Amino acid sequence: MSGGAEFTRSGGGAPTWWVVMLKELHELWVGGRALTLLLIYTVLLGIMSWVLSSNSELSLIPPKEMVFETLKGAIAVGVFIGVIIGADSVSGERERATLEGLLLTPTSRRQIIVGKFFAAISPWPAAFSVALPYMWVLSQGDEVLGQAARWGLLFGTLLAVAFTATGMLVSYWCTSNRTSLFVGLGIYVFFLIPTQLPGQAQTGRPGRFLQWVNPMQAPDFFLEKLLVNNRTFAELWHWTITPAVFFAFSLMLLFLYARPGLQLTAARPGLPWAKRRLATTGIFLVGALAALAPIPLRALQMGQEGGGMMSQAAPLVLGIDQTTVTLRAGEPLFFETTVTNNSSQPSADLILAMNIINLDAMGDIVDPEDWSPQRTQYQAGLAPGASASNSWRVNAIVDGDFMIYLVAIPQPAGEGATSHPAASPGIHLTVTPFTRLNPGGVLPFAIGGPVLLLLALIYVYRRRRRGIDEGG
Amino acid sequence: MRTSETPSAHRDTVLVADNLHKSYGPRAAVRGLSFSLKAGSILGFLGPNGAGKTTSIRILTTIIEPTSGRFLVDGYGSDQPQRIRSRIGVLPESLGFPGNMTGIEFVTYFGRLYGLGSAAARKKAQDMMEAVGLAKRGRSLIRSYSRGMRQRLGIARALINDPAVVFLDEPTLGLDPKGQQELQELVRWIAREANAGVVLCSHQLAEVEAVCDEVVILSAGQVVVQGAVSEVIGGKDQDFVRVQVPEAAVADAERALQGVAGVSAVKAMEGYQKGHLRVELNGMRFSVDGQHVNNNILSALIRSKVPVLGMQAGGSRLQEVFLEITQGGIQ
Repeated sequence: MSGGAEFTRSGGGAPTWWVVMLKELHELWVGGRALTLLLIYTVLLGIMSWVLSSNSELSLIPPKEMVFETLKGAIAVGVFIGVIIGADSVSGERERATLEGLLLTPTSRRQIIVGKFFAAISPWPAAFSVALPYMWVLSQGDEVLGQAARWGLLFGTLLAVAFTATGMLVSYWCTSNRTSLFVGLGIYVFFLIPTQLPGQAQTGRPGRFLQWVNPMQAPDFFLEKLLVNNRTFAELWHWTITPAVFFAFSLMLLFLYARPGLQLTAARPGLPWAKRRLATTGIFLVGALAALAPIPLRALQMGQEGGGMMSQAAPLVLGIDQTTVTLRAGEPLFFETTVTNNSSQPSADLILAMNIINLDAMGDIVDPEDWSPQRTQYQAGLAPGASASNSWRVNAIVDGDFMIYLVAIPQPAGEGATSHPAASPGIHLTVTPFTRLNPGGVLPFAIGGPVLLLLALIYVYRRRRRGIDEGG
Repeated sequence: MRTSETPSAHRDTVLVADNLHKSYGPRAAVRGLSFSLKAGSILGFLGPNGAGKTTSIRILTTIIEPTSGRFLVDGYGSDQPQRIRSRIGVLPESLGFPGNMTGIEFVTYFGRLYGLGSAAARKKAQDMMEAVGLAKRGRSLIRSYSRGMRQRLGIARALINDPAVVFLDEPTLGLDPKGQQELQELVRWIAREANAGVVLCSHQLAEVEAVCDEVVILSAGQVVVQGAVSEVIGGKDQDFVRVQVPEAAVADAERALQGVAGVSAVKAMEGYQKGHLRVELNGMRFSVDGQHVNNNILSALIRSKVPVLGMQAGGSRLQEVFLEITQGGIQ
């Protein structure tokens, strides 16, 4: 059926999408489904933050990384809830035989979809708000919190909206909500699994490209590099392309293609124009990705070419500002190194690499990844006689005797060339044991968050009970 | 905007179906459906399973498009589906309800979807709940409603927009006899008080006979009979009386009933119905002496000293017509 004026506003001035949205929100929140999912999420978040903070006490994870991990979890859960609710939005109504009643009203299909869509994305801001206090306490005053909140909100919104729209699209084409949930979660897991693979599994250009093209992985990469590794937006901006394209594509499909497909039965609309529209959006997506794909590869290539243009390494001296330090487990050590170019030639760009040796274990190497967010630092080439300082942080993870030293590695001139690293004096670090029940003051949040949400759930339930008659 | 041909041409006609066809590939579900419905009248929409009733209702309620043909609802053509939806009320056969809403919330929600403001929708919902006899249970969760209450709630929802045409698909399905009777009263009320045309789909033929003014019988996607209920029944004289006598007196009873005024044939039943006689009537209710034919039958048996163990007027006349017409019609 086509034609006829659309009923876009209900009486009293409220658009009908608003009426649909309010009803859907009522079912989600007063019905308790969204609150229950959030409660489960908060319990998990509490446990995770306590474990992370305990690890931080042992300096296994620095605050920046804890904030990143929490943010990553918040986004993943927000997306998960969006997929579940989106996947149930239409097929669930078909299964419960409530869709026919809705389609029999003069409300336009577009208004129905808009209302359902806005209700379906409502858990995301709630999930993000719930995560904020945990991120605050885990950040331990680090300035990373502001960055995490800004970028997390941006990427989380892009992904939650895109995956909710994807879930709704799946829901259109399914009669049973079990099928749509299965397919929706399948899509979610398909994109999520690569984010859980170890870094070594995705190295090289193909691996990096797969990271870039995955709308869940690209934001992870961006956030980790930005929050944990102190990279800048200018270096990472191309990692925002995939989630932005996925966001636009999902919404375009939802509102342009699938809207006419909102039918009583789950049959796919076979109209030629709809197929053309799908083909057009598909071509648009492939074209956009094809056009943008070379960007990260070019960025990598440029980095490599830039290094190759530097001159041969010159004699270098690497100094360090401390010699012996004693700390309790969980405390950080801050120190500075100074690299000086004593040559008459400009130095190549330098890689400063930190090493930590366990003196109690016959000199076993300690994996610096657990100890410091700054395993290496990059230093631009130095003019003859010039010096440069670099700041370092090491978290004392376990008790024992350790030696920390650094190496300055000039970038080799190219393939087949080598260079002469220079080593610094060592810092003898002695770590004494220390543990606490309430690491980083996180315990009140770990317990308080779920308790507050449980109280909210009980309040909503009791308030609802007061508003209804119990009838048999 | 209403179609130009309608306001004068169909002043009281609220629904016109004109040669509607619907095919799913090679299979024709509806073939040339045409009928009309006046405001305040009740149309029985009948047919065996698979006859195309639900497809027809879904076409007329704009849920699916016809392959060809057109229809008008309260003057709006089938090319104005949203206008039509604003003028119809529908109780689908298996309408689902959100169990965690109260009845009043549910009807209010639909009132708002039909363009009422929040307060007006709530007031109207309360009126409708009152009209369908659910006023006292309006604040109860729908999941606590019985099937009959849910049907009433569905009707309240269907009436929230003051529709010109109300489609009721099997409204009494699964209800106990009291519930069926109450629903029938409600259907009459809709036509009488709300002055809406009602299309009633039902397999309860006695109910259709009792409630409807007109009837359309579909078979294999086609209209096979349509007209006023009295005309449809009158065209097929199917009156009969069932008489039970002792098995040994069956022959005496047959002899006694031969020639009774108004009786066209007497047939002794066999098998488990042995001892029963089917006495078919020729359509005359009264014989020339002013006696009701049933009295004449009873008098004849008494005069012949045949013990009468039981006597029953024939079943739904519409049912007889329906069975005869639709036999073998399911495809």
